[in-house]
Amino acid sequence: MNMLRVKGRVRGWFSRPANVILLIFFVTLVFLTLYPLLSLLTETVTIHTGREARAAKEAAGTVSLYHFQRLFATAENDYSWIQFYQPFLNTLTVSLSSSLIAIAFGGVVAFLVTRTNLRYKKFISAVFTFPYIMPAWTLALFWETFFKNVNIGLKTSNGIMASVFHFFMPEWFVYGAFPIALVLGLHYAPFAYILIGGILRNMDANLEEAATILKTKRARIIWRITLPIVKPAMLSTFLLVFASSMSAYSVPVFLGSPVRYYVLSTKMKSLMDSYPGQAYIIVGVMILFGVAILLLNQRVTNSRKQFTTVTGKSGQISRINLGKANRPVALLLVIILLMVAVVPLVTFAMESVIVKAGDYSPANMTLDFWIGTNLDQRLDQGDSTGILLNPKVWNALGFSLGLAVTCALVAGTSGILVGYGVAKRRGSRLADMVNSLSFFPYLMPSLAFGAIYLSMSSSFPWLRGFLLLALVGSVKYLPFASRSGVNAMLQLSGEIEEAAVITGVPWWKRMLRVIFPIQKSTFLSGYLLPLVSCMRELSLFVLLVPTSNTILTTMLMQYSEKGWAQFGNAINLLIIVVVLLINFIVNKLTGASIDKGVGG
Amino acid sequence: MKKILALILALSLLVLAVPGLADVGEDVAAGEKLTHDELVEKALAESGTFVVYGNTSRIATAAEEFAALYNITTESNNLKDQEIYTKLRSETGSTAADMVMIQDGAQLTDAIDEGLVINFVPASVVDALDEADRQPALVHQFINKLFIYNNLGENVPAIRNVWELTDPAMKGNIIFKNPESEKVNMNFLVMLTSDTWAGKLAEAYKSWKGEDIDLGEYKNAGYKWVAEFLDNVTFGKSDTTIAEEVSQETAAGKIGLFVLSKLRSSSVLTENLTVAQYDATEKAYTVEPFAGFMYPMYTMINAKATRPYTGMLFIEYLMTQEGFQPWGKSIGAYSPNPAIQVNEGDLTIDVWKNTLVMEDAAYILENFEVEDFILQHCQN
Repeated sequence: MNMLRVKGRVRGWFSRPANVILLIFFVTLVFLTLYPLLSLLTETVTIHTGREARAAKEAAGTVSLYHFQRLFATAENDYSWIQFYQPFLNTLTVSLSSSLIAIAFGGVVAFLVTRTNLRYKKFISAVFTFPYIMPAWTLALFWETFFKNVNIGLKTSNGIMASVFHFFMPEWFVYGAFPIALVLGLHYAPFAYILIGGILRNMDANLEEAATILKTKRARIIWRITLPIVKPAMLSTFLLVFASSMSAYSVPVFLGSPVRYYVLSTKMKSLMDSYPGQAYIIVGVMILFGVAILLLNQRVTNSRKQFTTVTGKSGQISRINLGKANRPVALLLVIILLMVAVVPLVTFAMESVIVKAGDYSPANMTLDFWIGTNLDQRLDQGDSTGILLNPKVWNALGFSLGLAVTCALVAGTSGILVGYGVAKRRGSRLADMVNSLSFFPYLMPSLAFGAIYLSMSSSFPWLRGFLLLALVGSVKYLPFASRSGVNAMLQLSGEIEEAAVITGVPWWKRMLRVIFPIQKSTFLSGYLLPLVSCMRELSLFVLLVPTSNTILTTMLMQYSEKGWAQFGNAINLLIIVVVLLINFIVNKLTGASIDKGVGG
Repeated sequence: MKKILALILALSLLVLAVPGLADVGEDVAAGEKLTHDELVEKALAESGTFVVYGNTSRIATAAEEFAALYNITTESNNLKDQEIYTKLRSETGSTAADMVMIQDGAQLTDAIDEGLVINFVPASVVDALDEADRQPALVHQFINKLFIYNNLGENVPAIRNVWELTDPAMKGNIIFKNPESEKVNMNFLVMLTSDTWAGKLAEAYKSWKGEDIDLGEYKNAGYKWVAEFLDNVTFGKSDTTIAEEVSQETAAGKIGLFVLSKLRSSSVLTENLTVAQYDATEKAYTVEPFAGFMYPMYTMINAKATRPYTGMLFIEYLMTQEGFQPWGKSIGAYSPNPAIQVNEGDLTIDVWKNTLVMEDAAYILENFEVEDFILQHCQN
């Protein structure tokens, strides 16, 4: 009798699609995320061969706490202060500030675009995601080349601001904590725009309308109704930006190194060379921080202050009339966006056609780096044609696109399923675990993630090339998709699916016919974000690509290393144009786009 | 259920069926005794794509020319040292590198001890090379990083003594790549703390100031120079950027310590730059006690290579005039093979060996703790 009851229960449990989905993802994600974490933890207590073994005076392979003692408690030569504590404080400063900048900038623009009658909305909305599409370091490079001058940093040359406008910016503005935080903040502001904007666009107008009818003041409505509703989105943004900023590597290198401003990620990279144990401890610290914010985020998501914003009833949101302030505010935004999103593109285009650095006269310009055929004369070796005539570039573009589309499909679909499972079984332990596990890859710095997968792949000879890259990319970008999936599903009130359930419509049909169409733009953004991120990813793939010419970003890096900045800039522009084109096509075909975004 | 079991079984068989790693060490030992023709025969008998990793961008050209010469499908990868080591440790099978070109002798010594890579000296050059240039690792070329300054304006830093660089007035005028981000730079600074170089630096100090050096808290003159030099240095991103920046018209008074071969780059305004040692040679003086530093680039066979003979043939090719051409056609790369002459307009390897700080892997490995001292001075 009892046995039968258990059997019945088990069958009942498995008959719910949400349970099956959660179970499958739980098992898969444990292997794909916890296993790397475990191998990382093992590295922190293992003595590695070479310098580490010599320094620890222990045999390679020994299990020891040496790395912890060395990194956290070595006073000699200020070792711990230099290698850990100072960079740690700098990381906190930069990550906190960039999160706040992203939320403030992205949030305000999202509000203006969705809830007011602001002018030039289409332009602002479309261009706002550009900084995210561009690799973060390109904005850093632009910042430096634009503002540098002979009084600061290397003190060797003047950027456009100094040479054209004779305006010499102070050092703190161009190098160090401020520009690093600002550049990262601007780069990730689209997260805030997408997440917060999504909620604002889709929220049920009834609440605000009720308040308006009761003659509540505008400011009070925003403070008491709108802000609480977007609070989860703000916290999500905080989590995303903080974790990303913490593991950002190239921006601090570009804008920090000249003034000796180091952060944890730069220290991790240099320690990885000789003392991998200590480098992995730093990765561990970053992950710990991420987990702490994730837990905080989860407490808010699980608390009763969670609002379903899409219900069966329709809601027409009211727009605030900006009146006389409309044009100045819109113009200011347009100017800022032109500066951070369009001017860098123009700069890349310029840099890809000039021969000698810093000389922008027409005599120094050529299209040879794009369509030239006899570059051997100009460069002392290597590629003789411009990038558009170079088959290697086209092959890499094809590979990059194939990879990005695959990762997007796998991550995006998984994200929707995870979102469905988590939303349906909200509050259950399994749902919580899957939710956390699916977000976990985001907290792992890309470089370390790639390194761990490389060593994992040595046990699976079939896991090579495209398959390996696609797996790593899909897992690493799953968080984007699962976040958007969970957010979209949480917004849906149960009644939407209930009608279909009552009439006996099978689960897959409900997903395809009911749920997907309602939150289509959110789900599609769950596909688009991994796609965009994948197209411009470097550190995650750098160790895993079969050759440096396999994908566009490693090719770009190689050109930069060779000192062929023109090719590098041209390829950078190519990547951005391709991504914009994809965004445009998807937008025309489906109505969704990155800027329509996560959460709505 | 049966299908799933069958799939699991098939997958596990696939995992187990990795071909056992042939003993590459034995192949290399045998390969060192082969003539060129025998090596070609063995290499052509190997199948699949030949894979090379190198931290020099010109390896791509060399690999392409090698591929065309022997009709062997070749893939080359330009990676940083650390990326190469990470890949060597993790990768197995036919997609892993067969041969690598790598710098930083100290780390390479460790890699040899660890059994990651195997040294191969082709029979064609074994007699021509100095023992030190073929054991424990075959040197393909030497690369030099030199003091190169902007020659515009009135305050040209035409240094004749490296102690001039420690003058507080030079603060912010010297550009160097961060020793933390490229080990050969760190190695150079560690070398200066050796007794030999500390002695030379003490002498140079006397000839600069006319009095004996006051070491203060420092262990020797090498430590003092390193500390005071680093206090004046600004770190540049890469040698390419440093070359470009120091060559700007607005960079009068600036001096860099970077790879000489960067002068080949079309984005560098070479006419604004003077190489300290070239000037010294021309005007017959010496930059006391060194004009920069020099380090080797090595070639090695991956201990897990699946095409070891092709790797050996490629190394043999790289040691010929033709194989050296991608590097040898411009200044800043020097073959240890006396048959390969230096580029016109450049100084000979012997001149450089006498005027530059040479990397000594054994000393660096023994004195790795000096790095902590250097790191301290790389901080603010």
